[in-house]
Amino acid sequence: MHRNYLEELQKLFQATEYKIVGTNVQRIDAIDKVTGRAKYTADFLIENALIVRPVTSKYPHAVIKSIDKSRALRVPGVHCVITADDVPGENVCGYYIDDEPLIAHDKVRYLGEVVALVVARTESAAWAGVDAVKVEYEELPAVFDPGEALKGDFHIHEKKSPGDVKIRKGNVEQAFKECDVIVERIYRAGSQDHAYLETEAAVAIPEGRGITVISTNQNPFRTRNAVARILGKLVSEVRIITPYVGGGFGGKDTYGPIISSLAALAAQITDRPCMIVYTRHDSFAYRFKRTPFEIRYKSGATKDGKLKAIEVEFICDCGGYAAQVIGLMRRAAYHATGVYEVPNCKVDGVAVYTNNLPVAAFNGFGNPQMIFAVESQMDILAEELKIDPVEFRIKNALIPGSRTGTNQLLDHSVGIKELIEKVSKTANWESKRKLAKETGKNASKKRGIGVACSWHGCGTTGFKHDWAGASVILNPDGSITYSTGIVEIGQGTLTSHAMMVAEILGVPLQWVKVETNDTTRMPDSGETHAQRGTILGGTAAAEAALKLRERINALAADMLGCAPEDIAVENGIVYVKNLRSKQLSFKDLVREMYQRGINPSEFSFILARRGYPDPETGLGDPYAAYTFGCTIAEVEVDMETGEVKVLKLYPGVAAGKILQPEVVRGQVNGCSMLGLGYALTELVVRERGRMINGSFTDYVIPTVKDKPELNPYVCVEDEYKYSAFGVKGVGEVALIATPPAIVNAIYNATGVRFYELPVTMEKVYFGLKGGT
Amino acid sequence: MLVKFRLNGHHVEKEASPNETLLDFLRLRFKITSVKKGCDLGECGTCTVLLDGKPVRSCLILAVQVNGSSVTTVEGISGAELNLIQRAFVENYGFQCGFCTPGMVLAAKALLDENPNPRADDIKEALDGHLCRCTGYEQIIESVLKASELMKRSQQRT
Amino acid sequence: MNTEIRPLPKFEYYAPQSLEEAILLLEQNSPWAKLIAGGTDLLPLMKKRMILPRVLIDLSRIKEISFIDLRDSYLHIGAMTNLNEILGSEIVKEKAPILTEAISQLGCSGIRNRATIGGNLCNASPAADTAPPLLVLNASVRLRGPSGERSVPLTELFLGPGQTTLKPDVIMTEVIIPCKDGKSVFLKLGRRRGFTLSIVSAAVFAEIKQGRFERISIAIGAAAPTPLRCYATESALEGKTVTPENIERASLVVRNEVNPIDDVRASAAYRTEMASVLVKRALLKIAKEA
Repeated sequence: MHRNYLEELQKLFQATEYKIVGTNVQRIDAIDKVTGRAKYTADFLIENALIVRPVTSKYPHAVIKSIDKSRALRVPGVHCVITADDVPGENVCGYYIDDEPLIAHDKVRYLGEVVALVVARTESAAWAGVDAVKVEYEELPAVFDPGEALKGDFHIHEKKSPGDVKIRKGNVEQAFKECDVIVERIYRAGSQDHAYLETEAAVAIPEGRGITVISTNQNPFRTRNAVARILGKLVSEVRIITPYVGGGFGGKDTYGPIISSLAALAAQITDRPCMIVYTRHDSFAYRFKRTPFEIRYKSGATKDGKLKAIEVEFICDCGGYAAQVIGLMRRAAYHATGVYEVPNCKVDGVAVYTNNLPVAAFNGFGNPQMIFAVESQMDILAEELKIDPVEFRIKNALIPGSRTGTNQLLDHSVGIKELIEKVSKTANWESKRKLAKETGKNASKKRGIGVACSWHGCGTTGFKHDWAGASVILNPDGSITYSTGIVEIGQGTLTSHAMMVAEILGVPLQWVKVETNDTTRMPDSGETHAQRGTILGGTAAAEAALKLRERINALAADMLGCAPEDIAVENGIVYVKNLRSKQLSFKDLVREMYQRGINPSEFSFILARRGYPDPETGLGDPYAAYTFGCTIAEVEVDMETGEVKVLKLYPGVAAGKILQPEVVRGQVNGCSMLGLGYALTELVVRERGRMINGSFTDYVIPTVKDKPELNPYVCVEDEYKYSAFGVKGVGEVALIATPPAIVNAIYNATGVRFYELPVTMEKVYFGLKGGT
Repeated sequence: MLVKFRLNGHHVEKEASPNETLLDFLRLRFKITSVKKGCDLGECGTCTVLLDGKPVRSCLILAVQVNGSSVTTVEGISGAELNLIQRAFVENYGFQCGFCTPGMVLAAKALLDENPNPRADDIKEALDGHLCRCTGYEQIIESVLKASELMKRSQQRT
Repeated sequence: MNTEIRPLPKFEYYAPQSLEEAILLLEQNSPWAKLIAGGTDLLPLMKKRMILPRVLIDLSRIKEISFIDLRDSYLHIGAMTNLNEILGSEIVKEKAPILTEAISQLGCSGIRNRATIGGNLCNASPAADTAPPLLVLNASVRLRGPSGERSVPLTELFLGPGQTTLKPDVIMTEVIIPCKDGKSVFLKLGRRRGFTLSIVSAAVFAEIKQGRFERISIAIGAAAPTPLRCYATESALEGKTVTPENIERASLVVRNEVNPIDDVRASAAYRTEMASVLVKRALLKIAKEA
């Protein structure tokens, strides 16, 4: 049963202009962060904590013959050396399936896999200990290409693939026969490193029968489960505290449970506080990354410009373990049509084990790769059909009443068509498109403009259902203690929650204090990913606040002698509507609640409004709602060097109600830059499974000087009914739309199309000479 | 070796081994955790401190090298109230995850101390080498512009 | 290319107050001693265990080798002068503008506040950005050791990647730049616009007399084991008229002079092409200003 929050809230306030929600407030974490008071995991300097360093595999695929700890144990300062045999619970930490140990026991499947842990009194002793551990390997043939892995016999695991996904809608074969234009291409999208500024870290403190872990994670409850499993403890005995996190982007979703478990294991075995902090090298070398995709995309349309069918095959290189590939493969498949109505869809995706580094969630989660293919196809089709690319997209855009590629009915909150129109108008698409044609043939710098659309279902993809909880406690002085399971990774979600709670209860925002994320405070509330922090986490906050509000109104009505619906609360004053003189302070009301034994607190728990697609056909409702994005990119290509300068980006989002306009601008800008990096410079260079450009010098992320002009985002507030205030999520669509917009713009400028991300300047240079 | 220096305006002294970086010295011995170890190689800017007023990467300085100098971290630029630069960052959303923020704020301070009227290009020059993964830099630049405005206004009042 | 980052190893540390003291210390501790200037190249190398000195001799307290002086049309810059100081110097901007141009694109402010010109040269990265400009200006460096002082043309300093001809007991004290009238251009190609290593860099200096290239000097960075003077390319232009054709021809000669490698940053083929492009662009820019 899902509440129509939008209607309820509109009824409660009899307005759609709220006092707090939708305005720009001071973020609740602002002062902490600008003063340096904000503490991140590695800032918790626990007295006498032991230092943990991993011993990692020297080969991408090998049998572990023996591990000799003896020399290491003699190193002064080394406390102990932990191997797989020492794991008290289950040595398993796979994200979706149990194919992954925390510490390798019989063999290693990627270079950098943890084979042992050295625990020591100082960092230097830990390193010396690592150097002294002797591991004997028997090398096995290794494979780094998924195509090769499928063909050969590498026996990385029992099966060659941890899973696949398929979509079957309509009759694709027949539909292609009716198409006037068919385009088929192969696209490749590479890996990407999250490169957040805070590296992975965890501090574990044994406390009696329990253990507390402070760590860099995006999923305290999943982390808690993982730690409990490794330690052989009850979930209730594990407490995860998540302080400020220095960027996540999905990397700390995948790796949070792992880094936390490593510290917890050491703490349990030594019965001492233990700390592990990854160096930047560790982060580049060991932490899982974006999944490389190879996509064969075939799409067809009729000459009136209507898409008829898509046939998509894709392979994901998931590396040595499945990690999050299963979820992201499904997401990519469910979004494979792009933001368009396509009546016939055949999609087949498979993940393949190789001996590369396993894969992580990363902003977009399979969509940046898939949508790169989709939006390139759209431009190619548009050109063959001789229709303007923007017009072609508008013609096929999903609208309320459309069915997606998984046959999900989108009956409302589908703002993409309006968004495309808005963005193209803002960017002056028509006139600029003409301009590109007029640059001289022999100009050394050519300009072009390109467009791309994106979408991203809000909520966790995958096997389990999707839920969230929140807790609101009214304190006797009227102030409010609020707890959520959502993690503040920079996106400002916790401020959004506080705003919603304050709005619904009618108190000043300052009265709401958001507690540090602590798993003992509330029921499992899922992860902070997939754009779900506000649409689900926030709705849980609103749910709790609304329930309290009912009780507040009822009590106030009794105290002030009126009907509950006549009660208004504004700025901490409770009064009778149209009779302001009849009032009392919120504080007095809460005190009365305590006096009368009316529960002044509320735990909420909500379920996402979605189902499970059918495993055979892929049809169903995988997400509650979809956020849409559209970005237009203007580029200038230096024809002599291959440098692509992005001159300006015009991003746009249809993300339901915008709670914090300036915070969303930051999100959209940041995501656009992530997309820009993925498009142009962020190449992960590997040699036999090892990342050989693992430093900020050689893994090239944009600096302030690489920032293009960023037009303030355009938005369409296509409110979603079943979430608080009509919000959806916003954190991923801008990234997804940016690379194809840039690549389409490069084509517009140069007439050369690139089918592989990233499009580095060297690739552009040789591509322009040879044509691809 | 005994290191005597000014830290955020106070005279301090502490023993340091020669191979201790200023970064570790500040974080572990003085518990000043606003200075971050983002890469330890001078490539990200999160370890930035002001050394005799100039922004430097503390991961590339030995603790023993600051003997006789003055070191300022973000804790040292505000008193009972926020520094105007900090206020500008708050009001202009010049942060998201906040990890690069202390470095950015110090770089901004060094810039504004030298050039109270920076243009966007001057700001980009000062912030270059300070990596941010969250914001896309836009609101950080705007915060520094706002800071310069706030500082001008406050001087006009005095 | 990708090595672990460890805490700094243990070493003995000295901070001499004078050059004499420093030279003595070097002598006493050779060959286990290394000089530390700004530390921005050395400390990362030590953290990666690529250099393991047992003794570090810190030059930062020696005031006498940090200066910028103009003496009889020679610019003298102390080896320990930090790059931001040089960047901000009006004298350098006037007398050796190509050096200012190069430093403005080197690293970032936080690095330049510590990095020194001597350090940049002695670290001898093939991509060192101060090298190509100094090479085309025919700069020399002054060295002091136990047996006294001597000057060495910069062209004789670089041996290979990370290697100089400097003996272990010698300290570079200053860079000496003859000030010449002429036009100069420095161009740098990197993988991003800010804070980046050169993939290729080009420095060109020339006087244009009666529409001809005179005293043309060309140097390329990051496209050979050392920063490179391109003598053959210079010969192809010396005395020739300033025309797009001559410039184009010369830029092709560059291709044969450079000797880059394939590495994780760029391919040799790309670097070769780009050396050619940058030289052409630099020459065209000079031609335009003439």
